[in-house]
Amino acid sequence: MEKDESGHVTVGMDELGLDSLGELVYLTLPGVGTPVEMGKPMGSMEAAKMTGELCAPVSGIVIEKNDAVLQNPLLVNEQHYDKGWLVKIKPTNWEEESVSMVSGDNLAPWIEAEIERFETKGILD
Amino acid sequence: MNTWRYIKNDDVSASAGLAADEVLANHAGAGTSQPTLRLYTYKPCALVGRFQTIETELNLNYCVENKIPVNRRPTGGGAIIMGEDQLGVALVIPEKSGETYASVRERMAQFSQGIISGLASLDIQVEFRRKNDLEVNGKKIAGLGLHKTSTGGLLFHGSLLVGLDVPFMLNVLKTPFEKISDKEIATVSERTTTIRRELCESSRLAQSLRINEVRRIILNGYKTAFDTNIQLGDFSNEEIDEIRQLEKDKYMDTNWIFQTTDVLDSMGKSIIKTDDGLLDVRIVLAGKMIKSAYIGGDFFTSEHAIADLEQSLRWHSSQEKSIKDTLIQVYKRWSGDLENLPMESILKAMTLAIQKAEIMARKTSSDPYGCFVSPRGVYA
Repeated sequence: MEKDESGHVTVGMDELGLDSLGELVYLTLPGVGTPVEMGKPMGSMEAAKMTGELCAPVSGIVIEKNDAVLQNPLLVNEQHYDKGWLVKIKPTNWEEESVSMVSGDNLAPWIEAEIERFETKGILD
Repeated sequence: MNTWRYIKNDDVSASAGLAADEVLANHAGAGTSQPTLRLYTYKPCALVGRFQTIETELNLNYCVENKIPVNRRPTGGGAIIMGEDQLGVALVIPEKSGETYASVRERMAQFSQGIISGLASLDIQVEFRRKNDLEVNGKKIAGLGLHKTSTGGLLFHGSLLVGLDVPFMLNVLKTPFEKISDKEIATVSERTTTIRRELCESSRLAQSLRINEVRRIILNGYKTAFDTNIQLGDFSNEEIDEIRQLEKDKYMDTNWIFQTTDVLDSMGKSIIKTDDGLLDVRIVLAGKMIKSAYIGGDFFTSEHAIADLEQSLRWHSSQEKSIKDTLIQVYKRWSGDLENLPMESILKAMTLAIQKAEIMARKTSSDPYGCFVSPRGVYA
């Protein structure tokens, strides 16, 4: 998730999650104008015959969805920090919700800890 | 030792059966119910996978005329028929904290161990193969799917073929076959097998094998594979209320069953001449993904190799390079069996079929009067 200068948040999937999930084969996303709530399903996906919900990382209104990933879900796997984004959200409760998020200088140690945890559990090679 | 609940049901309706699995998984995820193994049979019905287009997958006219209910599973995978000879295996457990989407394939293989262990007690050696099928000597005996609920519950679902009425299945499911003849029935029979058939082929009496016996074998398989105490139980009153509600709100709702998505299916076919005969390729495309592929013709080759080829191309990128990479892998596995079918011919026919499907998709999206536009269902 990335917040730009206008305060809008671009939502995607990170490399760590995609590595354990595998190739995405189908996605559904909320339409523009849809209100979404942090932690609640906003869409769904299928990968390797597993289906699941895509939960909104932040509450707000969907202002843009990426039609390219609906046409080609593998874009999420291949260009997750670039063309493989999912939706853009205008947050409605950012100040309160962002308190529990990891960002800035805290991000690198958090990712390292996550990778170590996944490796310990045998989820990542 | 862990304790799981065991629930057995028979003759359940499609809507009630699907709602029950989802409610159990929701509760398991929320920690309000213990992990549960449910072994059950449906009244005859047809179920499509979570993101399949029902009109593309099922002969709806045949289903209506023969009063066969149709519905949509929360799990992925392809369209299936269920009935008294197909055992539904549902295992619901909470996802361990922090393991979001961890190693889907490994999870599927792990959860299948109960079925594999159970059938091993009948001397049926089952392998976990390809995109999550259970196979006996290359023939599919069970299809598998996995769904993660928003409460953090995991629903593993298997449909185990105790027996199979192939002509009935070919009537219910839409297939590329223009007519259902003995040849088509033989083709499907070459690619699938059942517990009864495996027992017959090993010279044991199988026709008398009852579903309860299979259920007992699979139950013991899970006890052995997971070293778990599994005790007979039933739904709680709270679960029953929620199942009724979810059945009404979701699995009896046409918005769920007949839902459409932003990316519509389009079909393409190509028939090309090779030195060894005609090659007939048909595909269903959704955007840049191949949802399914059919490879036929009058060349002579192994049915198992063709089945592997088709399965490997399901839910696959339509990019030519990606298809070629997959074909190279499949041809490595079946080098002798596919020698009458040059890889270049398959690639050429696939590319042509994809181009035709893309043209059809463009035509449909640019002609608003040529397609149906439905408001998106609440679950889409």
